[in-house]
Amino acid sequence: MNHSIIVVTAASALFYGTPLLYAALGELLAERSGVLNLGVEGMMLVGAVTGFWTVQKMPGPGTPVLLVALLVAALAAAAMALIHAFLVITLRANQTVSGLALTIFAGATGLSTYLGSQGKLGGQPAHHAFRALDVFGLADVPILGPILFHQNALVYASWVLVAIVSWYLFRTRPGLELRAVGESPDAADAVGINVTRARYVHTLLGGALAGIGGAFFSLALSPSWLAGMTAGAGWIAIALVIFAFWRPALTLVGAYFFGALSSLGFNLQSRGVHLPPELFAALPYALTIVVLVAVSTGWTKRRLGAPAALGIPYVREER
Amino acid sequence: MSAEGTPALALRGIVKRFPGVLANDRVDLEVDPGEVHALLGENGAGKSTIANVITGLYRPDAGEMRMHGRRVEFHSPRDALEAGIFMVHQHFRLVPAFTAAENVVLGFAPGRERRVRLDRGAIEREVAEVAERYGLGVDPGARAWQLSVGEQQRVEILKALYRDARVLILDEPTAVLTPQESDGLFAALRRMTGEGKTVIFVTHKLNEVMAVADRATVLRAGRSLGTVRTADTSPAELAQLMVGREVLFERREREGPVGDDIVLALDGVGAEGDRGVPALHDVSLTVRAGEIVGVAGVAGNGQRELAEVIAGTRPRTAGTVAVGGRELPSGDSRAPITAGLGHVPEDRMHTGLAPSLSIAENLALRSYRRPPMERASFLRRSRIREHAEEVIAQSDIRAPGPNTPARLLSGGNAQKVILARELAGSPTALVVAAPTRGLDVGATESVRALLATVAREGAGVLLISEDLDELLMLADRIAVMYAGRIVGELDANATDKGQLGLLMAGAVA
Amino acid sequence: MRAPFGLRLERRLVTPAWLPFAVPVGSIVAALVITGAILAVTGVDPFPAYRRLFDRGYVGDGALSSMLVTATPLIFTGLAAAAAFRMRIFNIGAEGQLYVGAIAAAWAGLALGDSGTAVAIAAMAVAGIAAGVLWAGIPGLLRAYTGTSELITSLMLNYIGGLLLTYLIFDSRSYWRDTTSPNGRIFPTGKTLSDATNWPTFTTLLAPAIVLVVVALALAISLGRRAWIARRSGAGADRRRRSRIAAILGLVVFVLSVVLMNLTPAQSVVFPFGFWIGLAAALAVWVLYRDTRFGYEVRVVGDSPAAARYAGMRTKRKIVAVMCLSGGLAALGGASQVGDFSHVLDARGLQQVALGYTGIVVAALARFNPIAVPVVALVLGGLINAGYALQGADFPSGMVGILEGALLLCTLAGEVLGHYRLRAGRGATDETAAEATAEVSAADVVLGQA
Repeated sequence: MNHSIIVVTAASALFYGTPLLYAALGELLAERSGVLNLGVEGMMLVGAVTGFWTVQKMPGPGTPVLLVALLVAALAAAAMALIHAFLVITLRANQTVSGLALTIFAGATGLSTYLGSQGKLGGQPAHHAFRALDVFGLADVPILGPILFHQNALVYASWVLVAIVSWYLFRTRPGLELRAVGESPDAADAVGINVTRARYVHTLLGGALAGIGGAFFSLALSPSWLAGMTAGAGWIAIALVIFAFWRPALTLVGAYFFGALSSLGFNLQSRGVHLPPELFAALPYALTIVVLVAVSTGWTKRRLGAPAALGIPYVREER
Repeated sequence: MSAEGTPALALRGIVKRFPGVLANDRVDLEVDPGEVHALLGENGAGKSTIANVITGLYRPDAGEMRMHGRRVEFHSPRDALEAGIFMVHQHFRLVPAFTAAENVVLGFAPGRERRVRLDRGAIEREVAEVAERYGLGVDPGARAWQLSVGEQQRVEILKALYRDARVLILDEPTAVLTPQESDGLFAALRRMTGEGKTVIFVTHKLNEVMAVADRATVLRAGRSLGTVRTADTSPAELAQLMVGREVLFERREREGPVGDDIVLALDGVGAEGDRGVPALHDVSLTVRAGEIVGVAGVAGNGQRELAEVIAGTRPRTAGTVAVGGRELPSGDSRAPITAGLGHVPEDRMHTGLAPSLSIAENLALRSYRRPPMERASFLRRSRIREHAEEVIAQSDIRAPGPNTPARLLSGGNAQKVILARELAGSPTALVVAAPTRGLDVGATESVRALLATVAREGAGVLLISEDLDELLMLADRIAVMYAGRIVGELDANATDKGQLGLLMAGAVA
Repeated sequence: MRAPFGLRLERRLVTPAWLPFAVPVGSIVAALVITGAILAVTGVDPFPAYRRLFDRGYVGDGALSSMLVTATPLIFTGLAAAAAFRMRIFNIGAEGQLYVGAIAAAWAGLALGDSGTAVAIAAMAVAGIAAGVLWAGIPGLLRAYTGTSELITSLMLNYIGGLLLTYLIFDSRSYWRDTTSPNGRIFPTGKTLSDATNWPTFTTLLAPAIVLVVVALALAISLGRRAWIARRSGAGADRRRRSRIAAILGLVVFVLSVVLMNLTPAQSVVFPFGFWIGLAAALAVWVLYRDTRFGYEVRVVGDSPAAARYAGMRTKRKIVAVMCLSGGLAALGGASQVGDFSHVLDARGLQQVALGYTGIVVAALARFNPIAVPVVALVLGGLINAGYALQGADFPSGMVGILEGALLLCTLAGEVLGHYRLRAGRGATDETAAEATAEVSAADVVLGQA
């Protein structure tokens, strides 16, 4: 009974949901500033490959190497985000096309695969990886143990991150300014807030978090490198931001829900329940459409909908 | 007012050029601490440009600016804010999703210890306190999008007060207010100047200058013509300074009796506004052939919705609309066109025109469905182009050619394109909203003359305008709207601004 | 102030005549330089890599035929993106629309295998288009009637479509799956369509050369006429110059095609049927948007919905119609994949190549001009082909994606820089009232520069 399907599903929901959570929190910050970045998948893959590369090439004990790997992944993905930021914020280029271009440039067909093959990273096991910790020795507690107390450090760090982002957005003045930039940049500009800087900063932060989400794949989920290993997680992260109404706490809930769905189909199948796994895999996408329709009009749009200036370049009104 | 004689703000010889336009030509302005100083001028006189120079949005090409005797140079709006200058724009800069209090404190954190943390209860208390001190009642917890226009303006002013701005610039603040709300605003401004703050009041309305300002600087065609104390002058004198000639409100000569044919009839019309609340109640109106019927009212009392309901771009919730005797279905914007209605909308550049399309294509916007512009679902591009070339020549539209995108047209030329298109089919009825707003004197005159001609040739015109002079000049009858209702209908020859103003304020006659 | 925040854009007063040529050429050069730099930094000599890419993609044995195989679906998805983006409808669901098109076409082909090629081709095309129209109609209807962003909904439907495809072949005993052959029992695959449903191919170089000559002649004549009319009517000097340049270009194309016709081909080139349909579709979309009432209405709705409503247009129907048109085009690409090439519902193959997303690249590089889509599709098709063909074999994998992405990023930047100058330094920006005489291009409208 200890490893009933619920426990297994819940534990793997946290595990599979965590990279989604990192990437979605990053995208949430970018979107809250008004920048839609469809390049999440590409940024995640660059994070995954550079993080893995660091672990393979850097000598030293596990913990510092892994921390450096995370830093490298975050910086590399942020550099990708900088391309997008420059194009859509400074040059005011179309955000949809630019984000797609970034995914092609950096993603499974592009830079990440190139770096992986140049570094001959494929097919190697990781020298170091994030392993599950036994927190307070509670990992063996029935039911809650495997779910809550037997996860790796990145899972626990993500909880702290959710709290920080939530506090930042809703309980601080810089957070208020960020939301103003995404809702109404002209109002923010009129009171002296630097719209351009806010958008750059949060787009880059978004990239860094996507990079960490990608590194979770190559350093924790399956510690190795495989071209295109995120397999569409970046797109689910974009859906997740909508699904969570652009709110960090709900992003956590949504990430674990999506994580559960991605593993539930296989878990059920292994127990003889024959429902097509595609059904579960498709649910996040279908639910996102439903949620998006629900927040498209009227009251819900004002309270739960997308930042009003999302996707719109800001031009100071002149003459 | 200042005994020491150092003005709070002094501009000397400000020049601001835009390509092809000299917007400010050596403008001088001196504003004393503790005064309400009016910046008076017609549309296009350079008032907004000078306000934008003061707030750091534009950099002047020449001239200098001093605050309390010290020379200042602003590179961005932020610099001006830090120097204590705050501007309330005509279009408010509020975040709709934020509460009033959040809007007020946005971008400003007094004291180091509160730079990061945002305590909602505390800021709401603070904002309520400031609001009460100046008599600017507003619920600090209400979301900006739920506030009335008057309340939104109060939030804007609270922003300035909260950050203790020394100089407050208000750009045409009363355009959206009822006379009562304006009085409340004036009282608040008095309280502020009483504390030594300085108010610059940008306006083109003489009576407001007389009511609230201590001194006024008059601008005309980009130049400052001097500063006068309101106590030492009269509205007539100011008016003459402002327009440079004796202002004569010449009424349109009515030629003969109007016909009996009712070309536009509204009966018991109701409609909802953008927020889903009723914006029109039981509106009934008739326009006869050859007649100009004016609609007066403070902006936001249902005039926009009225025009949209007639044009069919807004569905109605009650009543009927008929053009030339044909009843129109609700919310159908094609039926009025076929019934012979012309419509010059308030929003020229995005409703009246498709800005990226060429002038030629914009001129076809109403006629593209029928021959000769189309044949078997195909457009005849050469025909459309030839037509445009003709119109450009006839209507004296200043543009490089028929393929020029409409967005490059000046306001006057854009209006000429729209009018040429709307009059091309000899409409039986014409709905015109704010036809001369933002146009220079010459364009205004030619638009007004054109409307008079249209009526003389037998069309019925519904003229919706906030400009009472325009209505008194052109209209035969004037209907006054207040809170979505027609509160009175007057013979234009037998009324005056005073009577209209009372009705517009909701003091039902 | 800090560097990136101090940059600002200034609108160019006049759009120079060389701009429409400079942007694509400049973007290609910039993308080659950027990709080359990435290769060089990581220790790969870019020049041999480029040479092999060019050789394999465009001039090597059979390169032209393979190029056409890849270019054919890209024409359809490129047109799908161009048709929608042109109206500022951001349909990024060509991927999913292509899948359902392939599913429906495979169904029609399997069901009508014995009723003759012509019938089968028509049925497959119609079934594919219908499926794409319905699939794209979902985001279209949601956008029109509930105001839901078609961007995200169409994207989500890509994944749902992909999972449907996987389900039909890998996780069910569907009509499409081969459950009888020995191979099919071990490895999940689709049923192979009968030969009668295979779309025909044309193996020649003469026919396309003739077509090219005719097109070039027509182009040269019409542009020359326009230049002449422009001079007579005293239009702006800028316009006249542009017409003249265009006319000269037309002549150059004409001469080149005559030369091409006289060269005896060392190899024959295989033209898939779908390629010709794609060309016809490109022409049809171009005419539709340029010359018809519908196209005019679409352009007005895309530019200013308020103006469209004001002019009595049914804007919601236009949104749905454009979405359906776009979905139908992409789905026709899916039908062509089945009919022209795979002859089976290839669930894995279809999802591996990202034809739908690449279509957006094609459309953007073609500046959303339908008539330029086939040209760009051919160029990109060769590039992508070379990428596949050179996989492994000590060729840097991922290079093609880098090149493709860099090309799109540079084009985007180029479009903006064509209309603006980038100026450093802070301070008040004086937006200048442009007195440009240039016409607004499709790319300007889509990318928001208009």
